[in-house]
Amino acid sequence: MSYLLNNINLSSPRWAVFSRSLAAIFGGYALATSSSLFIGQLLLNNVGKYQAIHIGLLFSFLVYACAAMWVFSVSNATKAWICLIKANVFFVVGAWLLMQFTRVSS
Amino acid sequence: MKDNFRQSMKWFHTWVGLIVGWILFFMFLTGTLGYFYQEITRWMEPERPFIEHNISNEQLINIAQTYLKKNAQDVDEWDIDLPTARNQNLRVGWRHPPEAGKKRGRYESSVVDIATGEKVESRATGGGRLLYRMHYRLHYLSTKISYWIVGFCSMLMLLAVITGVVIHKKIFTDFFTFRAKKGLPGWLDIHNVLSVIALPFHFMITYSGLLFFLFTYMALSTNLQTNEDEYREMRKEIYPRTPHAQSTNQPAKMIDISVLYQQAKNSWQADELSTIEVFAANDSNAQVRFVRHETDITYNPNDEVLVNAITGEMITHTPREYTAAGIIHNGFFSLHEGQFAGPIARWIYFFTGLIGTAMIASGLILWTTKRKPQQMKKPNGPDFGYRLVEQLNIGTIVGLPIAIAMYFYANRLLPIDMADRVNWEANVMFISWALLLVYPAFRPANKAWHEQLQLAALVYIALPLVNILTTDKHLINSLLQQDWGLAAFDLTLLGVGCCFAFSAYKYKALTVDKKTSRQRVKQDKSVGNEKLLQLQRVSKGNG
Repeated sequence: MSYLLNNINLSSPRWAVFSRSLAAIFGGYALATSSSLFIGQLLLNNVGKYQAIHIGLLFSFLVYACAAMWVFSVSNATKAWICLIKANVFFVVGAWLLMQFTRVSS
Repeated sequence: MKDNFRQSMKWFHTWVGLIVGWILFFMFLTGTLGYFYQEITRWMEPERPFIEHNISNEQLINIAQTYLKKNAQDVDEWDIDLPTARNQNLRVGWRHPPEAGKKRGRYESSVVDIATGEKVESRATGGGRLLYRMHYRLHYLSTKISYWIVGFCSMLMLLAVITGVVIHKKIFTDFFTFRAKKGLPGWLDIHNVLSVIALPFHFMITYSGLLFFLFTYMALSTNLQTNEDEYREMRKEIYPRTPHAQSTNQPAKMIDISVLYQQAKNSWQADELSTIEVFAANDSNAQVRFVRHETDITYNPNDEVLVNAITGEMITHTPREYTAAGIIHNGFFSLHEGQFAGPIARWIYFFTGLIGTAMIASGLILWTTKRKPQQMKKPNGPDFGYRLVEQLNIGTIVGLPIAIAMYFYANRLLPIDMADRVNWEANVMFISWALLLVYPAFRPANKAWHEQLQLAALVYIALPLVNILTTDKHLINSLLQQDWGLAAFDLTLLGVGCCFAFSAYKYKALTVDKKTSRQRVKQDKSVGNEKLLQLQRVSKGNG
């Protein structure tokens, strides 16, 4: 086990590609979901609840695609992870605040 | 990843395309065949009679109604599919009353022979439907797993399409450059042309493909925002349905459907009828819905006419309501499936699908041609990865079309009364594909390409001949009977066979060309060496 652990070289390019792939697949998916939540809550009062959710979902694949491309274009994997987490937190908190706001106003 | 954005996207495009390229090839090819799935099914059920040309819709409706009265007496829901350019036989269907504990009853349908008014007993076959369903419902895997695999592959395809556009500085000038017969640039140009020529299609087909399972893939988002009832309501808003009459259990006598058809005829321009649906048959609430061929990408309320089957009056139905997002969503479905397409548009869909398939194939081949010079220089021969890609390329790009031909052979040659026949047709297809994937491992790549291309030409050209030997619905008869849909299938097989024969011939010519030129270079070199040796000898002798 320790032999295996010692063999993991975090600075090797293979590890970086693996890390980026994980970021693109799971981080990108999380971003697709959180952005659809945010859009759904943002448009709630303008187009009706169901259509708002639907519009958020329609955009989710494009958000996913852009996120994945972006992950593979930044200078290093750590930066990609940090920015993805920031964006996710922004969308989730934003959606949560919007939810509170609509609950108070209705 | 790399120094600049375009460079990293180029790297990304290469690997995203390679990882799932073979599955995408499979999805694109079987999906493209789906544009003709009814025609394929028709060919795979040769017991069905030839198309009847001189018969009016009223006569057809009467035959169908007589059959339904005889065979589906106590049934609520009937439907009648009239022969069209695509599905050339009269087909009736009905839904049995639901069994205890079930919501909907069993659906049964049969093709009716117009001449005798009886059911046509066809062989058991998966037909075109099973073939095209493979492109999202990977045959041997469970529904859920295949949806996720297909989704993952489609997502990578979407990325490949977008990055493909990004890495192109001169997308339009590149389109007009074509440098044939030059090895690497040749394949790159082919890949570019195939990609650019149908770019909107590639994007549409991939994005809409993802939309089909939108609520499966993004279930978390809807779960967080809706409860179960709301979710059901939302689905209804996105995919609205026209409500239909329920039976009241008070029997009543219906007017003949062919008489009711006059109502529909009055409101449409030409003879466009495609399907008739009867709800609450022989009930005081009976309704008949006449549906014509889809004419629009978006919903057109004038495509259906609803008539009260007891009084014969037209029922003004409230058209379905779509939200803006719903129109976009359903519009993408419609574009993906091409149900609205007439004969010409359908062929265009078919060829555009083939362009997409060829684009994927050329991308995969490009990966190997780019690395070939370097790999050939290695002392221990090419890497395992390179050989694997090359082998999968040969086994899929030529192997899969052969396997699909084997699916058709199985339909003609397996015993008619074989148990589990439908599954065995598909098994034959996948066994052949597996063999053709393994075969290139034992042959040099050049030979494997050439031999499999030859085999593909052989199986496709021989298929119409096997058809002549095994059925009476072969090319000669279908041409004589002017059954163009059926004839087109056999002719397409011959055409595909000729294309493979041509590529096999061309492949041989190109490789022989290269070999002779290489030998000439070698000879030149050896001649030069001899001269050098002579010179050295002379100089030594002088010294």
